[in-house]
Order: sequence, then C-alpha cells, then structure tokens
Amino acid sequence: MPYEDTHTSTAGSIPAAKLGGARKAAEPGQNAMKRLQTELMQLMTSPAPGVSAFPSADGNLLSWRATIEGPDDTPYAGLTFKLSFEFPSNYPYAPPTVLFSTPIYHPNVDFSGRICLDILKDKWTAAYNTQTVLLSLQSLLGEPNNASPLNGEAAELWDKNPALFKTKVMDRHKDLEDD
Amino acid sequence: MQGVAWGDGMVGVAAGFSARVASIAGNFAGREVASKRRGNGGPGNNKDMAEGSGADSIRGRVGCAAEMAAWDASAAVMGLTEVCRKDVEGFKSRILGFSCSNKRQARSHHGQPTMTSAVASPWHQRRRRVFQSVFQTDVSQPTPQTTPCVRFPDQGHVFGGPPPQTGLASGPLFSQQATQDLLAHAHAPVELSTSSQSTIPAPSQSNLHPPPPLFPPLSRLDNQQAAFDRAWHVVTARIALPPSATADDSFGTLPTDSQLQLASQHAAGASEDDFAQALALLVHHSDLLPDATQTDDIVAWHAQQVRAHFAQHVMPLLSGCLDDGGEEVLAAPEGQQQRGPGRKGNYYERHMFIAMSSIRTLQAALRLYFYGLGLLVQGFGRLVDGSTSKESADEVEELAVRFRRDTHALVGNSASDGLMRSVRIVLVRLIATILGVPWAEDGGSAPTQQRPAPPTDDDLRVLAARHRLHEFVEQLHNVGLAGERFQVLFAEIMDTMMSRFVKGAYAGVWAPDYFGFSSTPDTIPQPSASPTTSACLVSLGDWVENHFARLSLEVLSRICPEAASPVPLSDVKTYQSLASGRLAALRIDELFDIVLAWPMSRGALDDLRATITTSARRRQLTTNFSRTLRTRLLHPGRSTLEILRTYISIIRTFHTLDNSKVLLGHIEPDLQLYLCQREDAIRVVITGMLASPEELQAVRKVKDVARMKKANRDKGADAGAFVTPSAGGALKTPTMGRRRGATPELASTGYSTAPDMADQLPSSTLVELALILNDPAQTRRTAPEEEELDWNDMSWVPDPVDAGANYKRPRSEDVIGTLISALGSPDIFIKEFSSVVAGRLLGGPARFDQELRVLDLLKRRFGEAALQNCDVMIRDIQDSRRVDATIIKTRGPTQAMETPVKTPAGKTEEPDDEEYHARILSRLFWPDLEREHFLLPQPIVEYQQWYERGYEELKSKRKLTWLNQLGQARVELELEDRTVTVDCSTVEATVIYAFQDPNTDGPVKKSADDLYTELQMDEDLISAALTFWAGKGVLRRGAQGVYAVIESLSAPNDDGTAGAVKGEAEASVAADEGAEMEAAKKQDGAAGLSAKEMERRAMYWQYVKGMLTNASASMPLAQVAMMMKMLVPDGFPWGNEELQEFLGEKVAAGEMEVVGGKYRLKK
Repeated sequence: MPYEDTHTSTAGSIPAAKLGGARKAAEPGQNAMKRLQTELMQLMTSPAPGVSAFPSADGNLLSWRATIEGPDDTPYAGLTFKLSFEFPSNYPYAPPTVLFSTPIYHPNVDFSGRICLDILKDKWTAAYNTQTVLLSLQSLLGEPNNASPLNGEAAELWDKNPALFKTKVMDRHKDLEDD
Repeated sequence: MQGVAWGDGMVGVAAGFSARVASIAGNFAGREVASKRRGNGGPGNNKDMAEGSGADSIRGRVGCAAEMAAWDASAAVMGLTEVCRKDVEGFKSRILGFSCSNKRQARSHHGQPTMTSAVASPWHQRRRRVFQSVFQTDVSQPTPQTTPCVRFPDQGHVFGGPPPQTGLASGPLFSQQATQDLLAHAHAPVELSTSSQSTIPAPSQSNLHPPPPLFPPLSRLDNQQAAFDRAWHVVTARIALPPSATADDSFGTLPTDSQLQLASQHAAGASEDDFAQALALLVHHSDLLPDATQTDDIVAWHAQQVRAHFAQHVMPLLSGCLDDGGEEVLAAPEGQQQRGPGRKGNYYERHMFIAMSSIRTLQAALRLYFYGLGLLVQGFGRLVDGSTSKESADEVEELAVRFRRDTHALVGNSASDGLMRSVRIVLVRLIATILGVPWAEDGGSAPTQQRPAPPTDDDLRVLAARHRLHEFVEQLHNVGLAGERFQVLFAEIMDTMMSRFVKGAYAGVWAPDYFGFSSTPDTIPQPSASPTTSACLVSLGDWVENHFARLSLEVLSRICPEAASPVPLSDVKTYQSLASGRLAALRIDELFDIVLAWPMSRGALDDLRATITTSARRRQLTTNFSRTLRTRLLHPGRSTLEILRTYISIIRTFHTLDNSKVLLGHIEPDLQLYLCQREDAIRVVITGMLASPEELQAVRKVKDVARMKKANRDKGADAGAFVTPSAGGALKTPTMGRRRGATPELASTGYSTAPDMADQLPSSTLVELALILNDPAQTRRTAPEEEELDWNDMSWVPDPVDAGANYKRPRSEDVIGTLISALGSPDIFIKEFSSVVAGRLLGGPARFDQELRVLDLLKRRFGEAALQNCDVMIRDIQDSRRVDATIIKTRGPTQAMETPVKTPAGKTEEPDDEEYHARILSRLFWPDLEREHFLLPQPIVEYQQWYERGYEELKSKRKLTWLNQLGQARVELELEDRTVTVDCSTVEATVIYAFQDPNTDGPVKKSADDLYTELQMDEDLISAALTFWAGKGVLRRGAQGVYAVIESLSAPNDDGTAGAVKGEAEASVAADEGAEMEAAKKQDGAAGLSAKEMERRAMYWQYVKGMLTNASASMPLAQVAMMMKMLVPDGFPWGNEELQEFLGEKVAAGEMEVVGGKYRLKK
C-alpha cells in the first residue's frame, strides 16, 4: 500500500500559512511576529543539521539567538558559533541584523562580529528566512568571499597560509560562557 | 398655680389651643412644624418650664418611652402631651418668629433631676405623680391665678405684652399683623377703649393694645379683678363638663347638638344674658377690665377641661371597649391577626364591634365637648353680631373649627394600639372585599386558593362592603380617628392589597389569551411588537383605575373633605406605575420558569416587555436571572443537553423580550463560561443541527427498511487512503471495497464514531436545532445587517440605554448564531463540525441534505474559506461514488476475484453479488485519520489491488493509501445450524474471517495472541472485535482467553451446554453495545490520540532543544513553560506539572540534566 506524500513534514503548516496569508496585515509588528512564529515552527518541525535558532530568553520574539556548527572540512570544524538576530518590525521586508556573538576569525566578519554578506544587505528578499540565512552563513564559513573582505589579513591567509589561518581561528575562538 | 402645676407639657397644650385657634395650619402642620422645634422656644412658657415641678416627672416619663408603652392610658396621654407640646412650640416659633435658646437651657437645666428622680422613685409613685400633675382632679378653678407671661415677661419677649394665648392672628395673616403690631407699639400707645359692646374690638384687635404696666395700681386692679372673676365663674359654671367618673351614664344620655342649641335658647332665658355679658367681659377683659391682671382665656380653659375629662373618663372607657376583644387581641401580635386563635366567632365581626363601640364612646364624649364649645361660640357669635366686621364672624367660626380639629387630634393621637388593630382588621376585610382580593377570613391560616379578580359592579357583597366602609370611615373621621395614623394604616393596607392582587392574580398566568387577548403567533417573533401593552398590564391598569384608585378616592375624600381632589389623576398614574412595577418584579422572579415554559409563556413576556421600562429594572432582571441560572441550571446535575435546550429557550425568550439582545448579552457570560467547561457542548450542538427534523425522521424510518437492501449495495465501503499526486492539488484516496456473498463479507465504510451517533438519535439530540434550522424565519436574517441604517424600517427604535459601546443591533432571533458564538471561538467549532461531518459522511447514508443545509448556514456565518474543508469532504464522497462506478464498469466484472471462499462451515460462495466499493478522500481536507495497520483477508487484498489498478488507470500518477479500519462490511456466517448476517466494521470482519479454517473439523479455536500474530492487528482492536462477536453469539470465550466458534447452538460444547451458551450469548448481546462503543472510543483514543500526541511531544522536544541551545543554556522550569506558552503555535496546553513530567522523562533518557534547579542539555 503506497503512501506517497512528499510534503509530509510541511503538510500541517500549509493551512496555517494559508490562513496567515489570507489575513490582512493589521500591524506591521503583528505581521512580523506572525511570520517569526511560523519560521520558528518550521525550524522546530524540520530542523536543518548544524544550525538552530530560537527567540532569546527574555521573551522578545524580535530578538533571536542562533547556533551554527562549523562545517566539517573547514577550519571551523568542531567549533560552535553563536549569533544574534535582531529582526526589524517590518520583517520580512527588511533583513534582520545578524552578528556573531562568538569571536570568529573570518574574512567576511570583523572583530565586533559584523558580517559582510550580500543577502543580509541589498540582496535581501522576503523569500529568505532565518533558516536560509543560517545555512548561507554556514556555507560562508567554508567558502568566504575574499573579494570583499572585512578582515583583510584573514582573506590573505585563507589562500596563502591555511595552517596559520587555522591557528588564528582557534586562537580567536572562545566559547561563550552561558549565563 | 394652674399653669405651674400642669408643667410644661400641659401649659404647652393650653397655649396650643389658642395658638391653634389663631393658626390655619393644616391638619398635620403640627408634625411638620415639630421638626423645627429644636432651638425655637416660646418665651411664654419658659417660665413655666423653669418652675414646673410636675414637668420633671412628665419629662421623666417621656424620657422613658419604653416603660410608657406598657401603660396604656397614661401612655396615650403622654403621647398626647408630647405631640401637643410640639404643636405649640412649633406654632409659636412660627407666630413669634424668633428663636430663643432659653428653652433649651431650661430643659437641660431641669432635665437632670428629672431623669434621676424618674429612675429613683418607685413606679407607682411616679405614676401617680405624673397622673396628678397632668390631670387635675379639681376642674373648676374660677380665678386663674396668673398668666405667667404677663406677670413675668421674659427678657427675650419682644412684644412685652400680649401673651401668646391671646394671639389670635391667623397663620397666613401673621406676618402682616405682626408688622402692624410692631409699628403700633413703636409709635404711640393706642387709647384704651372703654365703651359699650358695640365697640368692643374683635379678639384679634386685642393685640393692638399696649402691654399692661408692670406695676399696676392696686385699687383698680382689685375691682376689675373681682369683676373678671365673677364673669369667669358664670361662664365656667355654664360650660363645665360633668365631673362624673362613670362616664357611661354621663354621656350616654346627652342631647344631640341641635337639641342642645334649642335647649340653651329656650331654657337659659335669664342666665343667657348673664352668660353673654360675662363672656363679653372675659373675652375683652383687656379693654373692659384693663386692670384685672389675673385673667385667662376661657377657650383655653375649656380645652383644658376637655383634655382632663378625656383622659380621666373617656380613656378608661375606650380601653374597656378593647377588653371586649379579650385575650385574642393580646394574643395576636399586630399585623398577624390571621394567626390568632381560630375562634368560632367571626373575627372580623368582633373587631368591628370593638371599633364601633369605641367610636360610639368617642362620639358621645365629643358631643359633650362640643356642647361647651357651642355655648362659647354662641356667646361669641352674639358679641360679633353687634359688629359689622365679617372678619370677626369668620374668626369665631374659625375658633370652633380649630377647637374641633384639636379635639380630633387629641382623640387621634391617644387612640390605643388595640383600637387601631381593630380598625386595621375591619379595614383589611372591607377593602379586600371591595378590591376583590381574597383574604383569609377569621384568622384562618389557610390561604384561599381563589385568585384575586376585580369584582363586578353588581356584586352585592362588594356593594355592601363598600357601603359599610364609607360609613365606617365617615364615623372615624367624625370622631377624629381618621388622622395621620389612620392614613398611614390605610396606605399600608392599600399597599399590601396591591401586592397581593398582583401576585395572586398574575403569578403563573402566562398564556397570552388569558384575558381574552390574542397575542402574536408562535413562530414568527415580531420585533416591532408593541412594547407598551400586554394583557395582564391592561387588566391590571383597569383594576387600579376602577377599583384601587376609586377606593382611595372614596376613602380619602371622606377623611379630608377640604382637599379639592384627594386623588388627582397624576396619583392614579403613580398607582399604575407602582402596580406595573410589582408586576415586573413578579415576572422577573418567574422568569426562569417562563423560559422553561416557552413558547407557552409568551403572554408573560409581553408583560415583562411592557413593564421593564427603566434601566434599573433591566439590571434587576439580568442580575436576578443570572442568579437563578446559577442555582437552577449551571450545576453538574444538569446534562449538557438540558443546558443547551434551556439556552435555546433563553435565546428565544429574551429575543421576544428585547430584540436588541442587550439583555441577553448581560446574562450570557455566565452561561458561556459554564458551557466552556462542558466538553461535549459543541458536539451536542452539531449533532443537534445535523439531526433530521422529527417528521422527516418518521418518514425516514419507513423508507429505511426498503432502502437498506438497496442502499447497502451503493454504500461504498471506503477506507481512506491518502494519495498525494506529485502534480499537487487534491489528494485522492480510493477505498477498499467489500465483498458480498463471501461469508466474511467485508465492507469498509465509515468511522467508528458513526454508530454512536446513530444510536443517539433522536431523543437525546437537540432536535430543536434542526427544526430551527428549517425555520425560514431563522434564515431571513442578515440582509440589511450590513447596511448602516434601514430607512424603510418603520419599527425602528433607538438602541437600549444599557447597550455597550460597540453595540450593533441584530436583526433576528438567530438562535443558532447565538449558540455557536457562545461555544467559544469559531475555529474550534469548525474543527469539531468537520470531524463530526467526516464521521457522518463515511458512515452515513447516501444523501447529505441536512449536512449540506447546515454547511450552507455555517458558510454564511463563517465565510466560505473557513468551511472549505467540509466542502471538499462532501465533494469527495460524491466524486468517489462516481469514480467507484466508473472503475467497476471499466474494470469489468471481478472475474479475477472469483475465488471461492470457504466458510467456516466449509461451504463455497457464489461470487456474483460480491461488491467492493471505496470512498476516496482528499487527505489534507479531512480531519486526521490514523492508519491502523493489520492484514486484511486475502480476497479483500486482491480486491484492493484490483481497485487500485482501476483507479490508477483512471487517474494517472495517483495512488491510493488504504485506511483499512474505517470500512464497513457485511458478514454472512454460515454455521452448522444457522446463518448469521452482521453489518460490522472491517476490523471485526477481519477477525471473524481469521476463524475460518477449511482444514479443521469442528469449531475453530483461537486466542487473542494467535490473532495478533496472524493479523498484526492492535491488541485492543482484537479484543474489542472478539467481544463483539461473542456478543453476537458467534464466538465463545473459553479458558485462557481462547475463543471458539459456536458452530451449533444446540450442540454441547467443551465448556458447557448449549443452553448456557445461548444464555451467555444473549447476555452478551445486551452488553454488546456498550462494549462496542467502549472499544470504538478506545480505538479513537489509543490509536488516534497517542500518535498525534507523540508527534506533538516530538515537536515540543525540538522547541526545548532549540531553546536550550540558543536562548540560554540552562533554564528553570517556569521559564521553559513561559517560553513554550509564548512560542508554540495554537497554544501550549500543558501545565507546569505536565511539562515537568515531560522534561523528567528526557532527563531520565539522558538527554537533559538538571543543574541547580535549571534544565540544560547534556553535552
């Protein structure tokens, strides 16, 4: 007895999304909340490996904390990075502000954790979501965009001296102690 | 020493008479003036009070009111003096227009010794002293010693001269007069007039004379004083009251007034002139005998005499009259005469006798008093005759009127409680008769069953009672008993009568046509129904106007004839509004019963609508009704069905009552809150709506028999199979069919819930809802609802005052809408609705008229989108019928399947009427349907495959997923001695099929464990199915849970005789239904819920993991719970305990740990 259902995981969310879409946006903030709740639901029901995110402990849905595990076969393998997401009230029509909380040595991340990634700037569209951003960042760890570095030294070392790069990464990395 | 000896109380009284004479104050002016008395003191009696030795004891007595109450005669007198004193003081303060604190000082000054002496001295002694001080035994005091105010003018006495006793100025004239007086005194003393009678000024003019000199010459004084004394003697001797103590004789024989006048004219002859002259001398003594310093007012003297006589002789007589009433009066507490000892003698008659004899006594006494007055008035009249002043004549007349009024006040105020009680009883009886209110007679306690009804005009009893009442009231009025106490009494009685009438006549009378009115027809509520009248109200208004008000008018016009219209029209209106208020109160108390009696109680609602006119009453209604609801409906003893039924009645009732629904809105919260606690409420409503109307039900029953055979063939057996086509869109599920003819014939159809619901019909469902649903009036709503204002609405009324801010006027009764909105959010309702509909679609008959109708209605309410699922569901069923037909046709006859199937009895089957039908469901649109895995009988599996192929040919790229447990099957079991045909679920059919074993001779035996291995079916389902078949008498449970087929009922079995088996079978048939339902429920619960629950738990675990990974590495339980509540969509249903348990499991599983009371993920 065949049971063909490719949408098993998301089936339950379809009516909900439909409902959300049909409803008129009462307030921009409300809309963002609604969207974020849906995203969270998706993250929870179909988690992607190596990334996770959750609203911060203070209960503010516009402020999230995320975790990225360093991909294997990259200098970041085995490391865990914490990030903070701050969503604007007109999300998803504007990108969230994403920062690395964990110190990271990376060509496209500066020392205060700011990230240079086009989809978080001008290339942002409402089709992206938290999960896609996290996945993009995860892949950025393995494939930095050395054309427009924030950390020039790192960009140089990435190509020229991977060993030294790895050392710098390990030096810089420091697991955040949780409160 | 008279004034002194009488004490301030009686001086007050004496002054009061003359004061009264000068006053036009109304009958009860005394009362209203009395309130002003504090702080206002007459200068005239200050002295008296200061000197009055007797005053002490009076005050003592007055102070000890409680003791006084026990002491009849003196109590009355005390009351009398008290009241009179008030009168006087009040009056004086009015006349003299100044206030003086002396009095209060004086009072407090000797108030002290009074109280102490009163307490100290023995009771009897005090009593004697009081009595003597108030009532002097020696009444003839020819020469008043002195008028204290003349001899000892007070400091605060502005006028210096005229004693208040002689102040005859009439009230209204007073200010003017007083001003004149002042002017006169200020300018020059007016010459004393010494001339003849003709020039004798009218009494009022005496005011103009200057005060006597403080130290008059002795000689003149002596002469004139003697003359005055002589005159005083003549007059007082003439008008003195008989001193007899046995008053019975003394005034039983007195002549009437007219005779009295005649006699005086005839007989008096010579003495008449003497009397007249003496009187003239007395009246105008200040002119004629200016030097006679010791003078007094003859009228005041007479008044004193009257008082003394009354207290001494009449009061005892009156109490004697009461004694006739005997112990009963004493035994029966006031106001509860009905409970008095039920003597044989007519209670009312006895009290009538008491009242009448008292009245007669009083009449005689009054005649005596007025005789004296008559003489005086005659004398005055003669004096006035000489003068041309009309004013003087008027004043003489006024004097008489005032005396009369004061005497009446005396009588009225001294009437004992016993007498008033008798009067009350008589009045109650008469008024009750006249008003048509049945009243318990003779003190009997049993209330009459008769309803009060307005009497007809020609009722002789009423006419007699009316006549009697008129006489009685007139007599009371004549003797002065119709005073304020009587009026209060009358008002009380009338009040009671109105309450009794309303309660008696209208309680429980709800029929609209009770009074010959016809109201609106039952089914169509008219929002514009006239809000101002109702049958009861009209009849009540009639009663008030023609009986109540009429009686009031008759009585009041007799007791205060002065008033032009004692009962003006506005009063009648007031009476009517009072009556309607009582009616409203009555109906409010009855409201819950009215609701229960709907629609028979429409008349009562008319009453309510007409009487609930103020917002206060509306509030009273809602609070009262809510209270009743809580005590009578919203408690665990009532089934949800009952509550909902009542709710429907409430909605309809309140809509009739107030079509704005505001009232309903006020009482609904309680109900809604309570209904939320009833989990089955929504289901009851939905099944109720889906129930066929009763008449349809009856028709359907007849048809059912015929249709069963035919319809069974059409009845597609379906097990939902969910197929997701890759092309997207709707998911189609073919279903398994069933085989007919083969002994274990399988048909798969329907939800397990379907049989339950069928069982419930119709008595235990809200059939009312279905009826309402079919009522066109219900569907008429909503057209103008969207418009702001319907300009053509001629019956428009403003929104009620107590409507809320966002109030929107509903257009119709809308029972269903109100009910649905009361059940919580529409989402929940729709969810429940679709699951119920799903059950009905899968199990129910081929047509879904009722479902479609309800669906239409709900669509109108919730919108198309919300009910899209239900639409799809219904379309699925319709489509699958078509698809089913197509597949069967295109695939041709099921030759492939024509494998003979051996029955347990070993017989082969004719394959030609085998049928297999499926229902194809679109998975996403149906409520969660769990797949239950088990192995179907091989022939059925083949059918399924065959059907599947047919479907795939028909709809390319789509596949079927079978929901095996949802089907229905018809099973024919051919046993050795009988054939059993049963419609059952596929599960049951599968189980019994497993008992078919062609290789075994004799009964097949299997245990649940065997079946579990064989069928791979859930154990619960297996045991339920086994119980089912055992109940049908097909299987028998043996030792160790082994079930065996009962091949032959008559054949002895291993375990017992056939009879025992049969008995067992029958017994279990009875238990069957319960077991079946239980099993169904279990199936629902165990299979459906737990899978869903597992899914949910997994999702929650993801949340917890995400939370502890990102938000914070460790969290206390409360914070986790808070975050979950905030973030889980559709709400987080767990409490802290459940969450703790859940997290505890994870800790036990090693996924988490607890550090310092905080949870964290294990690394």
